[in-house]
Amino acid sequence: MSQHLLVFPILLPMLTALGLLLMGQVPTTLQRRISIISTALLVVLSGVLLVHANSDIINIYNLGNWQAPFGIVLVLDRLSALMVALTAVLALGCILFASAGDDGRGSNFHGIFQLQLLGLNGAFLTGDLFNLFVFFEILLLASYALLMHGGGKARIGAGLHYVVLNLVGSALFIIALGILYGATGTLNMADMGYRIAQMDEANAALVTAGALLLTVVFSLKAAILPLYFWLPSTYASAPAPVAALFAIMTKVGLYALLRVQTLVFSESPAIVYIDNWLWWGGLATLLLAGIGVLAARDLRTLVAYLVLVSVGTLMSGAGMGHISGTGALLYYLVHTTLIAGALFLLAELIGLQRGKAGTRLVRARKIHQPALLGGMFLVGAVAMAGLPPLAGALGKLLLMQAADSAQRL
Amino acid sequence: MELLFSLVIGVLSASGIYLLLRGRTFSIIVGLALLSYAVNLFLVSTGGLHTHSAAVIGASAAPADPLPQALVLTAIVIGFAMSAFMVILAIRARAELGNDHVDGKQGEEGSTR
Amino acid sequence: MPLLWIPLLTLVGTLVPLLTASRGRLFCTAATAIVPITALALLLSHLPILLDGGTVSQQLSWIPLLGLDLALRVDGLTLLFGLLILGIGSLIIIYAGYYLSSSENDGRFFSYMMLFMTAMLGIVMADNLLLLWLFWELTSVASFLLIGFWGHRSDARRGARMALTVTGAGGLALLAGILLIGHEVGSFALPDVLAAGDQLRQASTYPVIMALVLLGAFTKSAQFPFHFWLPHAMAAPTPVSAYLHSSTMVKAGIFLLARLHPALGDTSLWSISLTLAGLATLVYGAWFALLERDLKGILAFSTVSHLGLVVLLLGLNTPLAIVAALFHILNHALFKATLFMSAGIIDHETGTRDIRRLGALWSLMPITGTLTLMAGAAMAGLPPFNGFLSKEMLLTKALATDLFGGLGSVIPLLVLVGATLSVAYSLRLVYCVFFSPNDNPPEAAHTPHDPPKGMYLPGLMLACLCLLVGLFPMTLAAPLIRTASIAVQGDNAPLFVFALWHGINLPLLMSLFAILGGITLLWRHKNISSLASLLPAPNAPALFEKAVTRLIKASLWITLRLENGSLQRYQALLLLSALGMTALGLSQLETLSGNVAMQPIDGLTLLGASVMMIGAIGSALAHRWRLVSLLMLSMVGLTVSLTFIRFSAPDLAMTQLSVEVASMILLILALFFLPQRPPRWVSSRRIVRDVLLAGSLGLVIAGLNYALLTREVLSISDYFLSNSVPGGGGTNVVNVILVDFRGFDTLGEITVLTLAGLATYKLLNRLRLFKPSGNIEGIRWSRHRYPMILEVVAQIILPLALLVSVYIFLRGHNQPGGGFIAGLITAIALLLQYIARGYEWTSSRLPLSYPVISVIGLVIAVLTGLGSWLFGYPFLTSSFGYFNIPLVGKTELATALLFDLGVYLAVVGATLMILVNLGSVTTAHRPTLKTTEQTASKEGNK
Repeated sequence: MSQHLLVFPILLPMLTALGLLLMGQVPTTLQRRISIISTALLVVLSGVLLVHANSDIINIYNLGNWQAPFGIVLVLDRLSALMVALTAVLALGCILFASAGDDGRGSNFHGIFQLQLLGLNGAFLTGDLFNLFVFFEILLLASYALLMHGGGKARIGAGLHYVVLNLVGSALFIIALGILYGATGTLNMADMGYRIAQMDEANAALVTAGALLLTVVFSLKAAILPLYFWLPSTYASAPAPVAALFAIMTKVGLYALLRVQTLVFSESPAIVYIDNWLWWGGLATLLLAGIGVLAARDLRTLVAYLVLVSVGTLMSGAGMGHISGTGALLYYLVHTTLIAGALFLLAELIGLQRGKAGTRLVRARKIHQPALLGGMFLVGAVAMAGLPPLAGALGKLLLMQAADSAQRL
Repeated sequence: MELLFSLVIGVLSASGIYLLLRGRTFSIIVGLALLSYAVNLFLVSTGGLHTHSAAVIGASAAPADPLPQALVLTAIVIGFAMSAFMVILAIRARAELGNDHVDGKQGEEGSTR
Repeated sequence: MPLLWIPLLTLVGTLVPLLTASRGRLFCTAATAIVPITALALLLSHLPILLDGGTVSQQLSWIPLLGLDLALRVDGLTLLFGLLILGIGSLIIIYAGYYLSSSENDGRFFSYMMLFMTAMLGIVMADNLLLLWLFWELTSVASFLLIGFWGHRSDARRGARMALTVTGAGGLALLAGILLIGHEVGSFALPDVLAAGDQLRQASTYPVIMALVLLGAFTKSAQFPFHFWLPHAMAAPTPVSAYLHSSTMVKAGIFLLARLHPALGDTSLWSISLTLAGLATLVYGAWFALLERDLKGILAFSTVSHLGLVVLLLGLNTPLAIVAALFHILNHALFKATLFMSAGIIDHETGTRDIRRLGALWSLMPITGTLTLMAGAAMAGLPPFNGFLSKEMLLTKALATDLFGGLGSVIPLLVLVGATLSVAYSLRLVYCVFFSPNDNPPEAAHTPHDPPKGMYLPGLMLACLCLLVGLFPMTLAAPLIRTASIAVQGDNAPLFVFALWHGINLPLLMSLFAILGGITLLWRHKNISSLASLLPAPNAPALFEKAVTRLIKASLWITLRLENGSLQRYQALLLLSALGMTALGLSQLETLSGNVAMQPIDGLTLLGASVMMIGAIGSALAHRWRLVSLLMLSMVGLTVSLTFIRFSAPDLAMTQLSVEVASMILLILALFFLPQRPPRWVSSRRIVRDVLLAGSLGLVIAGLNYALLTREVLSISDYFLSNSVPGGGGTNVVNVILVDFRGFDTLGEITVLTLAGLATYKLLNRLRLFKPSGNIEGIRWSRHRYPMILEVVAQIILPLALLVSVYIFLRGHNQPGGGFIAGLITAIALLLQYIARGYEWTSSRLPLSYPVISVIGLVIAVLTGLGSWLFGYPFLTSSFGYFNIPLVGKTELATALLFDLGVYLAVVGATLMILVNLGSVTTAHRPTLKTTEQTASKEGNK
């Protein structure tokens, strides 16, 4: 069995989802139990994967027993293992939270949630560019469905923007894929990187066009300036457990960017433009998102902007194009994703206790658990702000220092 | 031939993009359909333009590149799924927001920037 | 004993009060106080080495990647500050045990205090700049908790927020400064940095580094103009003020200046900055201390003033001035802690801190009066108290300085003003509280009296120390100050003598003048306060709040400007980014067309191309006439499928055709429910912009396509062509790729389809749709809902279509066809029944659950993939064989066929799930309440 380890993070949520969907009308408690157990298993599994990945050998799984670059491969290295683990941990928190009642406000919450995990894990593990597109579509469609869970005017309005922008993004993705396939003749990312390195200058310009278009598409998902404007309203209107899970969604974009940046385009002339786009875009996002945090009139919007702050920080880290940048980046990434998720959940709890005022930042009645919720929020805020004694401070330090050594400052 | 093909793709995508920017869900659906025609044609053409040479073994001496075709087939089906979802979303949005403007507002969209 | 134990002990100490809070106040206080006392003992165990001018240090590697070591040191400077932090800290804990009312949560309070103490110890013991910064920020957080301890009071919240904002911003500046130092020196270890003083002073970034570090220090130590947070931090419980503002938090900035003096000090830029800031703060603080009416307010401003004094001394930058600065740090901590404690006692006993309502307490509270008198005299700089000694030294140094050249005499003059004011407000404090007649006493529950021993003893101890240090400075203070001075100045550390009497000289005369002037000011206080009322009084919290409000307003403005909720703008930005980036790539292409010759154009193809282009443009132009636009679109769609045939992609053509039919049905349904004529578009500028954007993006896409088409590319496809039959068992390579080589893609794709079905299910949840009764021209829809011809045709077509789909499905592996296309054909045939007969009729005869069908399809596909595990192959490995089936003959059976069956079912299920669902939510009733939409209301009128 262990030789199939790499495909487990995709098959486990897939089978769980299919089981849940087939069972249809079984009591919600049973659905919850299945979903929670499966997600917990995923956490365990991702732990095993992390151990497995902790070597300098990159693990490959040939789907359909076809060799790369002809078949589709799954690739496990430290980065993808980390992302899968992060997703699993975050998802477990979200599913537990949702099981308190949010899951009952619409149909098939648990099944779609598992499909969302399937899409995320697939996107993290695949080594094939077109397959990445397919998994992007799965995770997007699942996110559309989860976003609209429970309905409501604000969700539909914000969801419409999110959907349309991503549909346009998908069309651009295919164009970029076409250019890259046309110019290199392959779809496997590692093989593509190898062919780009061997390429003459005439075709290299085409690769540059494709690479930059791909960067734009991934930047839309990662939400960096000028492509982040959809995020605050979407995240602020999503159901709390979904918004918390969405904390990982922007990181998918980031992950894809990192992957193509290091694996595919590192030898292409496009890399200079990509790095600069990420660096300046990231810094500008950081700045404007900070302004957005100040301007927020609702706790959930505020947290959404905090997500953007972390996106900006991470993007500028990625834009350093420097190995120390990547190390610092991953450290900060794990930390910020989990904290953002927690803050979304916390904001919901606070809102529930404030009666009509909800999460709007206005004077409202006292909450029942001021010490508990306030204390937790303080911890979250301190962590987000990167103040000691929490790990965020180290992440901030690491990134700033990486920026220094990458001569970006 | 190649130039004509590119021209068609250009016109299709430009029309699609123009429609996307019209701010009405229906126009967006039509625009997305046009754009996806264009990108599918784009993708399939990356294997080159071949005449009478379907990628069936034994049917022709120099079969066309089958890989882009397979990709486009997948893309068409995914595109169908997405546009179906978008159509239902548009109907739902009209029911919720009262009109079919993408921002849920009516009337003054021409003057705002 | 390793140094690490000292901060570790106080860190563990944060738990002690929490664990002992249930055992009663006295126990909790005692248990907590033991911690800093023990830590103090640990610190003092290093005394012998330190008094010899030595340094104790310890290093643990922590995060080497960062250059962040857990490096601690104890030297003279650490000793001086450590004594204050731990010594005064333990006294204040005892005091607080009595101060806090019994309802107060003492466990939490002491825990915060210990956290703060740990952070302060960390700052003074850090031997690594990054570590220092971490603790520095921790003090900001801990002080936020302490100042906001009474979180139910709005002034406490505001004060805490202000302190956190200002010191937090300063912390960020400090971090930047530290990183720059690290960049310059190549290490964050304090010994390396201190040794690299010359290198740093000559660095081109020196002014920036210095400015950033000073920003950090000045915000923390409340130097003008960053002083304003300090008086408002007085909303904290008094023990907190006594601790934070006498000996710890505000001294952290001064500590930093002293610590980095060897690395950054000793330049004229440094001296001038410190001197100016110190002078301004000294005078400013003293002036407002004189005007304050709140007991703690007086102390707060006097703290500001004395901090200015220390900074000024550091700025004067002579060896002896630095000694004086260190000495005054000690002195100020002693008398200020005492004064805060007695302010707390007075507040506690009388219920007010307003000095206009206090007075004549001397006879009622003699002990409190005595200790206040002593500490007040020290603050005023009266002999024989310790404050007198350091003030004398300041006056001497101010007279001796050569800064500012000809304007040098300004310094002693301003110092004299400060000293005079200092005498005045100190005397005023003591006089007004204890000696002046009280006309307006507060209504206290009981007559004020001296508090219990535990409350006044800590203050009394410190007050006595003030006196003793004044009397025996060489025994009590000099060794300590000497080691601290060595730590700061190294070999430059001077020999010095502290003495009360230096003979009659200018500084003594100035002191005398200050005392007389102070008494005069006190006497004429009424005139002064009326003079002050003429001057504009800066209202710091209002200004701060105003600034914050303005910042928030500006942020809101920017945010709303950027994020205006317009999808059209967001799309335009996305498309513009795409345009810019691809154009950037394209621009680097030398020639657009490559080396492959173009193929000739034939007439039929030209016709098809024209139809597509006309259709596309037409559909865009007619976007307001939606039916027309839709017809144009379908024209393009059909021609696209012809194009696929033309360019040898029969599978695509079939797929495109069947998808086209399904989506047209869907679009017509959509059109039915959406307004058919949107309102007119007005802005022509917008249209020009959009045409330009769309046109140029279209041009770039076309250009890229052309560039690709005219270039030769080696692709991996030959492998598929040569392995399709031997490896995949099929001659239709496209299908073999779909179900075998890239079956994983296909699995994902049917997942997307199923998901789309499920998602629409969610969207249509609880939605009722109303059928419009007529079209836009007001013509009513036909009453005959199900046309007869269609009914008949649909019935005939159904079995035929099912047969065709079976055929297409089976031949798919070898000829164009396959599960997708077959599934779509089946779906459309079934759909036709719904259209022809209506939802109720059809669903009663076709009791199929489409979600289940599509999920079963997925299950079959996944299980087929899993089957290969049984044979030890990876997921989705196919196998095939040739079997002799009776009647049929030799037949090829491939697992891929099973996989394709899954695809077929998923496609049928998902397609029908979407379309039938939409039909099912439609009600036949006419709407009763229409939406506000223009067209909708039109329909309602008909």
